[in-house]
Amino acid sequence: MGTLINGIKTEKIMGRSSILKSIKENKPTLISLPEIDVNSFEETINLVEAFKKNVVSVGGSIKELGQIQDLDPEIKNRYPNAKRIFSQISESALGNVQISEQTKPKDLENLDLAILKGVFGVAENGAIWISDEQFSIRILPFITNDLVLILQKKDLCLHMHHAYKIIANRERTFGLFISGPSKTADIEQCLVIGAQGAMSLTIFLV
Amino acid sequence: MKVGLFIPCYINQLYPKVGIATLEVLEKLGVEVYYPTGQTCCGQPLGNSGYEEDAKGACQVFVENFNEYDYIVGPSGSCIHHIKEHFDILEQTEAVINVRKNSYELCEFIVKILGKTNLGASFPYKVGLHKSCHGLRGLKLGSCSERMDAYYSTEEELLKEVKGIELMSLTRKDECCGFGGTFSVFEEAISVKMGKDRIQDHLDNGVEVITGADHSCLMHLDGLLNRNNQPLRVMHIAEILNSCI
Amino acid sequence: MSHAKLAEIFNKDEAKVNWHDKALWYVREKRDTAAHNVEGWEYLRDLASGIKANVLSNLDNYLVEFEKNAQQNGIKVHWASNAEEHNKIVYKILTQNNATKVVKSKSMLTEECHLNPYLESKGIEVIDTDLGERIVQLAKEPPSHIVLPAIHKTKEEIDVLFQEHLGTKPSHGDPQYLTNEARKHLRDKFLKADVAITGVNFAIAETGGFVVCTNEGNADMGVHLSKVHIASMGIEKIIPKEEHLGVFLRLLARSATGQPITTYSSHFNKPAPGNAMHIVIVDNGRTEQLSREDFRSSLSCFRCGACMNTCPIYRRSGGYSYNATIPGPIGSILSPGMDMKKHSSLPFASTLCGSCSNVCPVKINIHEQLYKWRQIITKEQKQPLVKKTILKITGMVLAKPKLYAVLGISVRWMLKYAPRFMVYSKLNAWGKSREFPKVENGNFDQWYKNRKNNG
Repeated sequence: MGTLINGIKTEKIMGRSSILKSIKENKPTLISLPEIDVNSFEETINLVEAFKKNVVSVGGSIKELGQIQDLDPEIKNRYPNAKRIFSQISESALGNVQISEQTKPKDLENLDLAILKGVFGVAENGAIWISDEQFSIRILPFITNDLVLILQKKDLCLHMHHAYKIIANRERTFGLFISGPSKTADIEQCLVIGAQGAMSLTIFLV
Repeated sequence: MKVGLFIPCYINQLYPKVGIATLEVLEKLGVEVYYPTGQTCCGQPLGNSGYEEDAKGACQVFVENFNEYDYIVGPSGSCIHHIKEHFDILEQTEAVINVRKNSYELCEFIVKILGKTNLGASFPYKVGLHKSCHGLRGLKLGSCSERMDAYYSTEEELLKEVKGIELMSLTRKDECCGFGGTFSVFEEAISVKMGKDRIQDHLDNGVEVITGADHSCLMHLDGLLNRNNQPLRVMHIAEILNSCI
Repeated sequence: MSHAKLAEIFNKDEAKVNWHDKALWYVREKRDTAAHNVEGWEYLRDLASGIKANVLSNLDNYLVEFEKNAQQNGIKVHWASNAEEHNKIVYKILTQNNATKVVKSKSMLTEECHLNPYLESKGIEVIDTDLGERIVQLAKEPPSHIVLPAIHKTKEEIDVLFQEHLGTKPSHGDPQYLTNEARKHLRDKFLKADVAITGVNFAIAETGGFVVCTNEGNADMGVHLSKVHIASMGIEKIIPKEEHLGVFLRLLARSATGQPITTYSSHFNKPAPGNAMHIVIVDNGRTEQLSREDFRSSLSCFRCGACMNTCPIYRRSGGYSYNATIPGPIGSILSPGMDMKKHSSLPFASTLCGSCSNVCPVKINIHEQLYKWRQIITKEQKQPLVKKTILKITGMVLAKPKLYAVLGISVRWMLKYAPRFMVYSKLNAWGKSREFPKVENGNFDQWYKNRKNNG
């Protein structure tokens, strides 16, 4: 049992102070941080082609749109059975689910499709950065049965070092790199697309 | 150049042919070879079992026998690796430092120091190369499959020049055979299983003779082959390089 | 039981050993392919190793920096010296939030702390939501691999398990069907949970944030559907700057499964409005490992499992043969430091082939540390008398050339002339499945002497 010191229980202080003390006593002499020479990872490749290839290899689908007007017909074609749709893309008229201040995460339980904007993509792994700067309910890209992301071709970078430069000055709340649909290989190493998150991920490049 | 010939203890006692082939190969290459008769063992079996302190005496005997030579050459990657890595437990006198620096596995000595690859050998058989771990990853006799390095193999450089030889490709290029010194008796079940799997890989790929630079691995595989009457034989790379058929 | 004994039992079913070995070798091959596709892979490993070396040498300052930044963002930071403290802290947060239902994504640290049985003893329902973890949870088994927890289970075994616990129809182990049924089952749990517990893949000192990586999305499904998020991390999971994630996230999934990145790499910095986020920073023997100069770098491990996939012994003995929360090569250098008596056989469960050290993304010299642990264990743990005596006597003999010559002759004589039943007796492990070498007339010494004498 701990006694109170300045309102903080001593047992709480002890865990922290004993750990820090132990580290101080046991850590080695300071070894300096290596510098990352990003040039070592340079490759002259076609970013769009590499990105497309990697999206497919991680189980996603990807299509280049001639014009943004093609978006809705394409989506209707791929997801004909989607009834409850949320869209944050102004060029899409398919959205029929509203998200407001009052919407609770569990209210989205039966969402069939979410159409969101991807901020940028990473060619080396087919990943796209999205964050709650764009969608206020964090569960959205996970709980939706299927997910569509719209991405500008010009918003592609080569690798993760570039990616972290791009998001270095963001408002830090919650964001993620999403690469393909949810998946698992936990049953005898057999890859199954569609685990606990979205069952599919389709990317439209404009 | 004076070369001290290091004959590992188990080769001395159980596989003298390998020692003889090593000596003959070096002499054919014009090397002045000396064989210090007071040598015993590099101490590896004790080190690997956790008794490196008790091996210090053996290590000292090694240094005393070999420190006068320009190079120390032995037909065993694991023993040479042990000398280079684990003689750090001895006081680092000039003699110890020299011995550690100048010890070479046979293939590495021939290719790197003598700069030779064609020994005029002839061995018209299908041969599978077992890339023993301590030589491969320890002495870096070759690149290994799990690292992203440019491909190279000291043993293959020598074997490629042998007349009539057919070097067969294995499914798993550099998996361990399971000998591991005293591991072979203290973890017998896994050791045997690993050996059996290695042999099967060679059989699956049409190998007639398994070779390598470490006869401890070959001894382990040979023991399994003979028990199971399998149609393969083992030969140390020195014996292949020394053969003219 | 020692690793050798458990491995022997595992090897009685050769078909199962082959299946297990091939499954993990396949993952190793996928890793190789992924690594080949990265320009500068070996340089990435050098960087990761160097960053972690810096971290360990400045760990206290980074942890304090992390705490300050995390707190500024509304994350509550707790510190636990050991497993017991960790469990108590987690339970306290649960009671403060009137929580009785918990969903948990993969966290080897919570396995290490035995969190589930502790919470369950207090009447809390804990559902492991990673599919592999859920499978072993239903089977009442521990995970056998840190990344692929159910790698030891066939799909038929999983089918039977799901029939019993999830009410599925028999499907001959159809992975698609079973995964879909698990999705429905777990979704129900996510929607009803009060609190979500996750692990931490990387915690960033510079920002006070942390990253959780999954393929299934189960960590996020848990966290964003509940009001309270508890993240458990070992002290060593800290990295200095967010830009370092570029190095670590490029290495992690490729090393673990051969994917270029996990499906979800979720970056948590602030709790959602109205929600609470807690981090529990855990020591549990790590500062002690930090004091061990030879073994300190084992703390660089970020639990990718690559060493297990490449290890020829792990593949042929299975995770349970190690009898440790973290098995395989990395487990064999971490566990003796925590309980040397229990884990004394682990550093010997290796041929020291060195493959593990080469696949380790942070370049831990695992095989060298295994060798070093052996030297310590033989001194500090009672060794079998026969083994100890034979080795010590051998050491003495090898130091005396004349004695060695006598030993050599005796061994050769024994092998050549002793009757088979004596040489291949039960006492002689070599001879159980292998023949001894055929002994020639004379050893090398004698041949050389003769040659010298004959000019």
